[in-house]
Amino acid sequence: MTAVETKSSSGLSTKSSSGLWEVRTEEQPYAFLSDKDHQETNRYGQLIDLIDLTDQKAPVDRSLHINENPEVGCNPNRNKQHGFYFNADYCIGCHACESACAEKNDTPAHISFRSVGYVEGGSYPDYLRLNISMACNHCDDPVCLKGCPTGAYTKHVEYGAVLQDPDTCFGCGYCTWVCPYNAPQLDPVEGHVSKCNMCVDRLEVGLKPACVSACVGNALDFGIIENTPDNRYQVENQIPGFPDPEITRPNIRFQQVKDLPDEMKRTDSAPVKYHRSGSNENKSGQYQPVVDPKGKTEKGWDLAGLISKENPLVLFTLLTQASIGAFIIAFLGIQTNMMGFGLFADSIYYPLLLLVSFGFVSLGLLMSTMHLGKPFRFYRGFNNLRYSPVSREGLGIALYMGFLGLHLLLTLPGNNDVQQILLNLFGISYANELGLGTFLAFSQGSSNVCGMIAIPAALAGLYYMNRCYRIPARPFWNHWQVATSFFGNSISLGAFVFGFFFVLALGQQGQLNASLLNIVGSLLVTGVVIEILGLFFHRKDMTRSKNEGAVSHYVQTSRFGYTYIARNVSLALSVLLGMFLLTLSILPVPMAILLIAWSCIGLCIIATSLVGRALFYVLVIPTTMPGAFFWKNKGFEEHARETGLANMPQVGVVPLAH
Amino acid sequence: MIFGRKHRKPIKIPSKAVEQWKYATCNYCSTGCSIEIGLDKEGSVVTSRGHAGADVNRGKLCIKGILEHELFESAGRGTEPLLRDHFTEPFRPTDWNTVIDHSAARIKSIQEKYGKDSFAVVSTGQLFTEEFYTLGKLVRGCIGTNNYDGNTTLCMASAVSGYKRSFGSDGPPGCFDDFEHTECLIAWGSNLPEQHPVIYWRLKEAMEKRKFPLIVVDPRVTMFAQMADIHLPITPGTDCVLLNAMMNVILTEGLQDQKYIEQHTSGIADLETLVRDYDPGRVQHICGIDEDRIRTVARIFAKAPVAMSIWTMGINQSTHGSDGVVNINNLSLITGNIGKPGGTSLSITGQCNAMGTREWSSCSGLPGYRLLENEQDRTEIAKYWGIDVDFLPQKRGLAQTDIFPAIETGEIKGLWLIATNPLTSMANQPRIRKALQKLDFLIVQDVYKDVETVQFAHAFFPAAVWAEKEGCQTNTERRVNLTRKAVPQYKDSRSDFWMFKEMAKRFENGSLINFPESPEEVFDEMKELSKGADRILDISGMSYDKIEAARGIQWPYRESSESLAGDPRLYQDGKFQTNDKKAKLIPVTFFNNNETPCEDYPFWLNSGRVVEHFHSRTKTGKIGNSNKFSPTPYMEMNPDAANALGFSHQSYVRLVSRRGDAVVMIQLTHRVPRNMVFVPFHFHDCVNRLTLGLLDPHSRQPAFKQCSVSIEAVDQKEAALLNVERRSF
Repeated sequence: MTAVETKSSSGLSTKSSSGLWEVRTEEQPYAFLSDKDHQETNRYGQLIDLIDLTDQKAPVDRSLHINENPEVGCNPNRNKQHGFYFNADYCIGCHACESACAEKNDTPAHISFRSVGYVEGGSYPDYLRLNISMACNHCDDPVCLKGCPTGAYTKHVEYGAVLQDPDTCFGCGYCTWVCPYNAPQLDPVEGHVSKCNMCVDRLEVGLKPACVSACVGNALDFGIIENTPDNRYQVENQIPGFPDPEITRPNIRFQQVKDLPDEMKRTDSAPVKYHRSGSNENKSGQYQPVVDPKGKTEKGWDLAGLISKENPLVLFTLLTQASIGAFIIAFLGIQTNMMGFGLFADSIYYPLLLLVSFGFVSLGLLMSTMHLGKPFRFYRGFNNLRYSPVSREGLGIALYMGFLGLHLLLTLPGNNDVQQILLNLFGISYANELGLGTFLAFSQGSSNVCGMIAIPAALAGLYYMNRCYRIPARPFWNHWQVATSFFGNSISLGAFVFGFFFVLALGQQGQLNASLLNIVGSLLVTGVVIEILGLFFHRKDMTRSKNEGAVSHYVQTSRFGYTYIARNVSLALSVLLGMFLLTLSILPVPMAILLIAWSCIGLCIIATSLVGRALFYVLVIPTTMPGAFFWKNKGFEEHARETGLANMPQVGVVPLAH
Repeated sequence: MIFGRKHRKPIKIPSKAVEQWKYATCNYCSTGCSIEIGLDKEGSVVTSRGHAGADVNRGKLCIKGILEHELFESAGRGTEPLLRDHFTEPFRPTDWNTVIDHSAARIKSIQEKYGKDSFAVVSTGQLFTEEFYTLGKLVRGCIGTNNYDGNTTLCMASAVSGYKRSFGSDGPPGCFDDFEHTECLIAWGSNLPEQHPVIYWRLKEAMEKRKFPLIVVDPRVTMFAQMADIHLPITPGTDCVLLNAMMNVILTEGLQDQKYIEQHTSGIADLETLVRDYDPGRVQHICGIDEDRIRTVARIFAKAPVAMSIWTMGINQSTHGSDGVVNINNLSLITGNIGKPGGTSLSITGQCNAMGTREWSSCSGLPGYRLLENEQDRTEIAKYWGIDVDFLPQKRGLAQTDIFPAIETGEIKGLWLIATNPLTSMANQPRIRKALQKLDFLIVQDVYKDVETVQFAHAFFPAAVWAEKEGCQTNTERRVNLTRKAVPQYKDSRSDFWMFKEMAKRFENGSLINFPESPEEVFDEMKELSKGADRILDISGMSYDKIEAARGIQWPYRESSESLAGDPRLYQDGKFQTNDKKAKLIPVTFFNNNETPCEDYPFWLNSGRVVEHFHSRTKTGKIGNSNKFSPTPYMEMNPDAANALGFSHQSYVRLVSRRGDAVVMIQLTHRVPRNMVFVPFHFHDCVNRLTLGLLDPHSRQPAFKQCSVSIEAVDQKEAALLNVERRSF
């Protein structure tokens, strides 16, 4: 060990010269890493030697530059994948690991890189509580690293540590969505994420992480992955309450030998419990998350509950989708030169529609930017195009917005109404008088090119927006319904926005007729039908699923039961009324009635998409670890915020910023 | 391939830049962990760590110890002395001279008017031993009231009393090292993982090396109960029945250590006669443990080559507290398990220096386990202090739990509270609240000015805390350990030591008695008083430097001791501190005077500690990373019972007892039986508004854990509001 502390005769200890970590006087064996050897590969077949894993591309004696200190640690195993080991039978839930971590990392009360929650089962006195202490698992497949749009994460060949740089992070919180273990901690006060750093400073001098060294239950351990600690014999990758390891291939191993009751419940407010089925011979069967109503089974509206900190994202997604839909319908319609569209293209309403679409997408992007912990770092959102759907979504939508804007600008000079207005206002008739025909042709041409580019950019943006939510750690979202919802809404909302301007344009010219209206109407209905289709299968799959998705769906049908039904009924009614109107148009119905009816449908669709999207965000239940009664209990956090308990910092709940 | 990047991201990990580590002993519980406090260049506290070379904790600390260094600057600290004439008026800040002059004058005037004993002093287990000894000099030698006690009456009095009755003296005979040797361990009403995590770790380490049976007696399924080989979910307050039944089995089956009984004990005949009435088959339904289990446990305990018992508040805080201790001692004695490695009867104390106050504070006697009732002891101390022997009372005055009723009746008119918070910590709080208002003069001396009892104080003395001063503590295995002064005193606070010294100057005897300037000189005085061949409490070989070098030394540690280790065990020679040198076997008759669940109040109310909090939460309630794990009061309730009454998880209810009411949040769990609720005792205006606190006849310790309550519905919004209002920290 490089860092050795000396003890002076006065009894006062003095600091050693090493800048890495100071080993304590007479440090005990339990604190030192003790791996003698290691396996070639882990259980997933991945090499444990990380230099070998990178085909020798990474240097062996590279400094980690902890706090810019160039010193290289003396740990002989520093290039092996390390991981935590948790003997769940031994954990007494004493919080020593959590507080040691908080002390070392100076984390405030509302943040914790390591948390202990528990599940419990049985009936007094045949009762068992299983405490679970969990931090970052420094996964083989770090979904946080892949998801992070700013590239704040690095997986190091030193210890296989997945480290995150809060100074790069812009606080979007996407890593907190994708991580199944709740490891990254979004700090609403600081506006950035931070997380477990594996205590690499301690590892460099051969010491186990602070939490492990602090454990008084002899439950936590640490070492090269797949190694069995002394006195332990199991090296499992699962315990009840722990998410499916296939999602990220986490570097944590467990021992859990004590037979548990078949049903383990959570004390936090998540309506989840874990159930083990199977015969007595097959008791090793896994525990599956199932619904635990916790006595709250009555249906409700809970409209207030629809309001969440993700509200900006509700607006961002809907506005962007409406914008994209409206633009594409208008632009493609004009390209096809269908009846009435030429008229529309020449009218002022087409640039107005473009302006509104542009406004929608800008407002949406503004919303999503303001949603960031550090909005001024928004430009970092494209740092991780290689992996992150968020980066790609952002790029797609930004490109769409850019080319939409150009398209709008370049469309203006050639637009009849614009020319007319200029003529009327300023007496300028540049198209003919100034002889700018070439310019107009050019601008028309480039306007089309920009429009052509905006479409794939928009579709890519929309596609990756959908990919952003396909998160295995969030089963309620991880369904193709996200695509039908996003594209469906794009079509229905887009058709409504488009229809509004289209009707105005044609109405002004007296060219509006039922069949033109039917084009818009059928698009609108199609969008809703696509959405309904997705919702139908989503419901079916969630009901059957053996994961938190079923639980989310349960919440959807209980706490938000009436809201959910109302949304579904209005979607169905929109379609039925729409179909009716489409068929009705064979008959000579006054246009005004048709317009009023379609407007009603349109408004109804706006309302349902707002409610539906809000539900989408509030319902998701991540696969995260069970919480405790106060700490990491969503129910208590909400209560503390409502009552004002959260105003005391030592309660560990931060009031939501408004 | 996801490794590597062209431009490395910085790795920032908070570095504490420690320039100097200062040695300290944890100021929370009685485990006595050694801590090093890290100071930076400016001398500010930046971190702390367990001392890896200390035998007690070997580098480990619990959550409270890990975060303890944050308390120096925590909210609510007392910044300056305060005075007022009546508790309804606002305080006016003042200086130390004024506040001590005024207080001394008030003490004297009360004593002149109503008699010496009309002014009472209630101290604590939180100060350093030198401070306790100095306080003893002040109270016994200068103020001269006999109504002087510590809040240790709430936690350790029964252990003290039981030890005295069985062995002739206080002093836990065993040590943590006994875990390494024992072949069987019974824990009586002790939840080590939550209350003494580091002692639990020592036990766990021992069990990992060499598994032996662990039996836990507790009405709740605590984590300790869960870790046990055998858990005995006993009916509250019936430990003596179980113990008698076990001894019945042992004596009936001839499993006792006859030789030990004959050589080192007296009273076996009476004990044998009594336990004959406690046939397991007959008493099983009283204690709630079936006869088969009783026999199993009795046999493994008696048959183990060495076996030990540990206990905490489950035994002490009951009307049979002292009897329970005596009975645990009986069990150890008849199986020959005292003074042997792995064979002992070890009380696990609550406060960091409950032992120090027991040994040296003079509150229930005179320094060094001397007795007021013993003329020789009185003479010795009076002579040593230089006062008239008649100044010392000839028998102990009122215990803490009798002082408050004496305020109620008007016998006591003035009170000095030192580092204790009776408004939160005493049973039957409505009665205490009423009594405190009757006082003519109340001094509250505490680290925090927001300690609840301050609301009725006339004078407030802001005290320095922990490593803002210097001194020793004794842990539960008789290990004397040291805290060095690491930081300056906060604002205008003073060490308790200084305050006692200053107060003494205002009294006549203060000029007769020598009050040394430094704690270390006081320690030397204590060393002198501890000398004596048959004195077990002998610290004469110790010095501050030796204690720090050894990271704590167990007493007895005589002048002649050469190594740095004291005696790990008492009574190894089988000689006890009684007249005949034999331990007493005392028969314990069970009677049930507890308030038990009835139709009107159908639930047992059990109370206890949680790991993240200490006592009345004045310290831990300010430290976010501790407090967040239980920031508001809650109650463990059985889900079946809640279901029948229509109460749900995480909702508020009102608990009602024959004393008062409390609002708590429900945590449903099968940890507790259907007819019991458990409420952590740390919260103000909570469990002690309900508790009865019947007193143990020997120790005067209250039975906090046995009374009955009903559970009533409450408006959720109002309850939430009340809960917020009652939590100023």
